[in-house]
Amino acid sequence: MASKAILSRRAFLRGVGISGAMVSVGLPPLDGMFNSSGTAYAAEVAAGVSGSALFESRFLLWFNGNGIAEKYWIPTETGSNYTLTPCLAPLAPFRDDVHVITGLDNPSARKPGPGNDHHRSMSALVTGTSFTGQGAGAPSIDQLLAAKLGSASRFRSLQVGVCQESFGESIQRNLSWAGRDRPLPPEMLPHKLFNRLFGTKDADWMDRKRSILDAVRQDATALKSRLGKQDQMRVDDYLGSVRDLERAIVSLPPEYSRVEEPEEGGDMKDWPRIAKLQTDLLVHAFASKQTRVASYMLTKCQGLSRFPWLGHTAERHHDYTHDKVETPEGMRILRDICKWHVQEFAYLLAKLKSTPEGEGTLLDNTCVLFVHEHAEANAHKNNGLAVIAAGHAGGLKTGMHTKMTGTVGDLYLTVADEVLNAQLDSFPTADKKLSDLI
Amino acid sequence: MEQPLILKLFYRALTLANLCTLLAHPLSGQTPDDPRFFTKVLYPVLQMAGCNGCHSDDGVASATRLHFPPESASDADREAFGRQLVSLVDARNPEQSLLIAKPTNRLEHTGGQRIVPGSEEEKLLQLWVKHLAVGASEGNSQTNRSSAGEPEVQPTFMSRLTHSQYNNTVRDLLGDETRPADQFPQEDYVRGFKNQSEVQSIPPLLAEAYSAAAEKLAQNAFRGNHWRKVIPCEPASHQDTLCRTQFIRQFGKRAFRRPLTAGELQRYSALFAREAKRTGQFVSGAQLVVEAMLQSPNFLFRMERGPAAKWTDYEVASRLSYFLWDSMPDDPLFQSAASGQLGTAAGVERAARRMLRQPQARQALDEFVSQWLRFDRVLNVVRDRRLFQQFNSGLAVSMTEETRRLVSQLVWNNQDFMEVYKARYGFISSDLAALYGFPAPAEEFGMVQFPDRSDRAGLLGQATFLTLTSKPEETSPTERGLFIREHFLCQKVPPPPPGASASLPPISESKPMTNRERLQVHLSNESCATCHRLIDPIGFGLEKFDAIGRKREKQALTFFAARGEAERKPTKVELDLDAKGRISGIPDSDFSSPAQLGQVLANNTECQKCVVKQVFRYAMGRFETPADRAVIDQGFADFKRSQFKFQELIISLVTSQAFRETARLD
Repeated sequence: MASKAILSRRAFLRGVGISGAMVSVGLPPLDGMFNSSGTAYAAEVAAGVSGSALFESRFLLWFNGNGIAEKYWIPTETGSNYTLTPCLAPLAPFRDDVHVITGLDNPSARKPGPGNDHHRSMSALVTGTSFTGQGAGAPSIDQLLAAKLGSASRFRSLQVGVCQESFGESIQRNLSWAGRDRPLPPEMLPHKLFNRLFGTKDADWMDRKRSILDAVRQDATALKSRLGKQDQMRVDDYLGSVRDLERAIVSLPPEYSRVEEPEEGGDMKDWPRIAKLQTDLLVHAFASKQTRVASYMLTKCQGLSRFPWLGHTAERHHDYTHDKVETPEGMRILRDICKWHVQEFAYLLAKLKSTPEGEGTLLDNTCVLFVHEHAEANAHKNNGLAVIAAGHAGGLKTGMHTKMTGTVGDLYLTVADEVLNAQLDSFPTADKKLSDLI
Repeated sequence: MEQPLILKLFYRALTLANLCTLLAHPLSGQTPDDPRFFTKVLYPVLQMAGCNGCHSDDGVASATRLHFPPESASDADREAFGRQLVSLVDARNPEQSLLIAKPTNRLEHTGGQRIVPGSEEEKLLQLWVKHLAVGASEGNSQTNRSSAGEPEVQPTFMSRLTHSQYNNTVRDLLGDETRPADQFPQEDYVRGFKNQSEVQSIPPLLAEAYSAAAEKLAQNAFRGNHWRKVIPCEPASHQDTLCRTQFIRQFGKRAFRRPLTAGELQRYSALFAREAKRTGQFVSGAQLVVEAMLQSPNFLFRMERGPAAKWTDYEVASRLSYFLWDSMPDDPLFQSAASGQLGTAAGVERAARRMLRQPQARQALDEFVSQWLRFDRVLNVVRDRRLFQQFNSGLAVSMTEETRRLVSQLVWNNQDFMEVYKARYGFISSDLAALYGFPAPAEEFGMVQFPDRSDRAGLLGQATFLTLTSKPEETSPTERGLFIREHFLCQKVPPPPPGASASLPPISESKPMTNRERLQVHLSNESCATCHRLIDPIGFGLEKFDAIGRKREKQALTFFAARGEAERKPTKVELDLDAKGRISGIPDSDFSSPAQLGQVLANNTECQKCVVKQVFRYAMGRFETPADRAVIDQGFADFKRSQFKFQELIISLVTSQAFRETARLD
């Protein structure tokens, strides 16, 4: 291209949009969109907007299963001078970037209904509604946010996972839910996530794919008109995914030279290694604006991970949370396990903090919520939950431990509307904002 | 245990509060003569007592005469149910009616005491019983035969191809054996199976996977000279419209499993033509069409309730082939559909019997078995090597192979399928023989009669079942009892109440306990016992088989040095085992070995019926509802009459109206 027209990213997407009017396929897209450091939109810069307001905030729902060992996790003091407990020790370099929140309630977990405590707590945790017997009862918080924040990104949202060991049921294996009984499975393999995010294809390939998806869409529409209501919804569901797929295909991945392709082999059960690879890719996805909303499922609900690198291989995570917890050794094992989870979380914070964005870092524009389905794991406790909020998006208060009164729903609504400006206005089990948060 | 008592008191208080509120209102139906008495006053009491947790079609008390209507039942349904309770009333001695004696546990009630004698709730129940007794003795028969009103029609969703079906379909459609669905995001188990259509959605991750797979499959199909297998004619040029139309019609009919509509033909012809023109190659147009069709909902979904009556036979053909072959119809089956032969039960039976003789049927049966018996849990199992040196992943594979072969033997040789619980023989490999303490078999997985001294029999004596129902270090009687209730008796056990403590008493060298002793805590606390009484005692009867299915006379507890303590040899404590078990609700069911348990189950009607139900759920991609009662009953009758031949059960199901009917009902 001779002259480097400054394109706004939105215009680019509109140009190759679903309407079919082809404009920019074949354009080298990125010179015109990124400045020399590859991290800002030239158009906005030219418009004179500066500072962190320039960058849209990101949201990440971060999860590990089974719950915590409260004795080693929850700090005894509140306020800014709380002592980091053994499990929270990895957060030492990030004290000022996190807000430890305890005391939150998950009331929908206690409503009578099908399933065991894990099923019920999980559905209640991410959606505020009851487990249906098959899946979560409503869209999860990250999906509600994606609906508001994600429409201009290549991916409306991303679901990333690490540990695979699980009892195998839908409510246990999935963190994000598009709606009632509609799970969004996470991508758990780094090389596949890489291909999704950064695999490049040529213009002919994209052209081909677009015409295929056009035909698929027409088939679906023709079919729909002749089906009953229930089946129409299924087809609509597929059409939605086809739309998302098309959007992902036509938005070319950015040239983001810092991304290394992960090797395909290696020990695929070395969870600390996989966790870090996935975190790296997720941070790149955020930094390159491919998405604004994501979820990261380190271990599964009622998870069955083994921990060879910690020396705990006799049993699985879920067994460890029940079998010997009354003994000092059992508690120490749980402490080690919880600490590892926090270590991976600290790794994420380190990555976000070391990714420059504008005048600051990516962490300045991100809000992360680290949640579990239970507080004290053995008791399947669903009140007094412990959550870590991290990042500096939207004036989130950090650097302290606060015991709050309220529900997880209150937390989500506060984050959604006060931190991210998503204007959700409501969330199941939310009836107030948590003023200590902002 | 603080919570349960508090909950009990809370619920009592709530009931009383409700009752007071109700009785305070003038038109509240407070006497049984008021038609709203049952639905407004007594029914909530019964709900609070939790009767329907067991007294439902799929509950532990499914064999009794008392079946509550489903949650969604109307007031009219409930009224009818209330009147029908007269069958549990003794008109001459109302106070001794089953309807009072059982829930108060005056007559031994598996579910325990649900209503406290002398309570307000009992008074209300007595009012109703007297009312029914008066009505009965006056010959005033208002009983309805059925326990509910009109059975609700379950909406049947269109079914997405499962991953195994996708693999088999592309094999049969394109000759491609690469099994692309093995790379798709895994399917989750929902209510025991991976193919329940209500929850089969296509999230974006899966849509991407379909897109990538379609691309590769299309490339493979046209590599080299392979395209001649896919394109039925010799194209004269890239613009040969005759060959193009022939190809699209023929391939499209097999891909969509029915003839294409005019609109589809036109759409795909245009797609083909554009691409062929762009590349100057006929084959590339065909390749694009293949890639597109593999992502069409017409390929990925099967219509259960199709949009056009003219395609009904094709839908029956697909339903048949995906059930019996886990794959698409073959040409003879397509022809039967085209010539209208699948419109009658006789026609369907003919087709089904032919299909059962083909090798694809065996593979399809294996898939059913691996889901019904949760092979995934065995194959993913991990055991502490210090305690279970014999165990490794190869042994786990042998375990599932043993199970697979036993079921296959009974099905394909038309034997009594209930032998699956009783068989005193099996298909044993040398590593399984070592595990079981049997002599080495003459050939790997050859059929072997069990030694007389062994008390193994059927599935319950196989390492597959014994392993998947155990925890890493020890057996779990609760897990074993639950698996038997759910998978072999089709009885749902109510879930633990919210907040129920999951702690078991800790064991130590100074205080060692057997599993039975440890689980006493379930049975000594009434609110836990109500349900645990239904499951733990089943598992107790299998305690002489350890966490990898080995026979043991004693339970060995091994105490290793804790980390941080000085290194010392592990100490071992051996405890005597009491392996007596029973199944609440099945009379004379005392047993203490898999062989004895197998006899109990094989002879039990609920167990026999459960085979029917499990096959129904798998075949239909949904659970049975009251509207399906006739199909299940007929299936059971046919199954039993044939001396429990599994293939006859299949024929009964596929010839039923529910299976053959695909017309829209809305």
